[in-house]
Amino acid sequence: MNNVIECNNLTHYYGKKLVYENLNIHVEEGSILGLLGKNGAGKTTTINILNGFLQPRSGECLIYGENTQHLTPATKGRIGFLIEGHVQYSFMDIHQIEKFYSGFYPNWNNKPYWELMSKLKVEPKQKISSMSCGQRSQVALGLILAQDPDLLILDDFSMGLDPGYRRLFIDYLRAYAKAENKTIFTTSHIISDMERLIDDVLIMDYNRVLEQCPVNDFMTNFKQFNFELANGEIDLSKESFVANFEKVKSSVELYTYESEEFIKDFLKKENIAHTNFSQMNMSLEDAFIGLTGKY
Amino acid sequence: MWKSVIYKEWLKIKWFQIALTVLGLLIVGKIFLKVQHDILFNEAHNVWYFILFQGYAYYGGILKFIPLIIGIGIGIAQFVPEIMSKRIKLTFHLPINENKALFMMLSFGFLCLLLTYAIMYGSFIGLSHHFLAGEIVEKANVSIIPWFLAGFSAYFFVALIVLEPIMKYRLFYLIVTCFFIIIFLEHQVPGGFKPINWKLTVLTLMTSVSLLFSAYRFRKGEM
Repeated sequence: MNNVIECNNLTHYYGKKLVYENLNIHVEEGSILGLLGKNGAGKTTTINILNGFLQPRSGECLIYGENTQHLTPATKGRIGFLIEGHVQYSFMDIHQIEKFYSGFYPNWNNKPYWELMSKLKVEPKQKISSMSCGQRSQVALGLILAQDPDLLILDDFSMGLDPGYRRLFIDYLRAYAKAENKTIFTTSHIISDMERLIDDVLIMDYNRVLEQCPVNDFMTNFKQFNFELANGEIDLSKESFVANFEKVKSSVELYTYESEEFIKDFLKKENIAHTNFSQMNMSLEDAFIGLTGKY
Repeated sequence: MWKSVIYKEWLKIKWFQIALTVLGLLIVGKIFLKVQHDILFNEAHNVWYFILFQGYAYYGGILKFIPLIIGIGIGIAQFVPEIMSKRIKLTFHLPINENKALFMMLSFGFLCLLLTYAIMYGSFIGLSHHFLAGEIVEKANVSIIPWFLAGFSAYFFVALIVLEPIMKYRLFYLIVTCFFIIIFLEHQVPGGFKPINWKLTVLTLMTSVSLLFSAYRFRKGEM
């Protein structure tokens, strides 16, 4: 598989504040990668570097082999970019904006755009600025689909959308990407949306990458065990196999990549008295919070 | 590609362009209503005497600031929508060299400004010839050119200031702009700027590339 995106040893600071150091990311052709992280973990920073709107302190990002700081017009034409908040030229209406963008892309195909627009209850001359957030998201998505890019970079596509529009956005996007072998690099605050959309997950915490793998592998290998400790003073957070340890009084949530047998053997070997031991089913959101912590 | 850029820029500025052109024409009209009034009540030879020998500038007053206001107005109408929600990212993402995209936008704004100024200037010079002697018109022509150059410079500086990502730098550019523009609006005897008008033209042309600096800083992620 070819890597469409490759970031090598990416390091960035805002002033003296380290965002991340020696970050390495790769996105294979045809895959949908979701970048997850808490606020301030560096998601938008990464998106900005990928689009050439931010120069990293060191390291480089390549898209189709070109440094993102100097993308050629031809390569930019292969990338569809959704700005956080579905920002578009809001002084235009849906006809004007379609006419504007069609002049830049030789493969412009307005069929999917008008298909999406037909679902919106907007007046033909209605300015984008007077549309709801959900309607604006459909305009932005429709324009990207009409551009027919090979790579889609979506910055927090779910921001401000109600559940119906989020579902519409995701289902349309996934069907399109899989049918046309498109590559997607996306971030979202709403992790439950990502579960429906992505193939691979990249989880960032402050200053580092916690995980990058297929989302199914992550959901299979990463586990949550709950139990009650007889002695509420015991703290397992420093154990090497513990990814995260959350405790409220004597109730414990232990997150790990180890198996149930391993955890049980450990508790037995260390004579840690406990009751109600069980493995929990997790959603991607549960796993994300389990890995990164609640704070 | 050119057509698309022109289309977008025109959508942004068309009402401003029309309104500011009408404003310019109204001001020119007001000036010549007064000239006509003065000739009618004070007789032409007295009016000419005052203009030729007393240094009376019949075009003085508000006309001085109108090209400046138009330049600032067109600049704001064109570039402020680009920085709202950092929309300029959309322009930089288009499959076109970033500097070329900016110059296309700037060229269109410049041509719109040129058109408005040409209409104003043409009507001013035409009406001047209708009411006044050629010698008077020549001096008036020399005197008003710096005001139009101030308008062009203000337009280019508005682009620089609006696209600058850091507020303190914007403030700094604004102060520099004010001092720069004052040069063009200095008080002068009619025709007094004749020796330096070409220098002011060169200065104006030099300011036309200044927005590239702000755009470069934006693309490097200055904040």
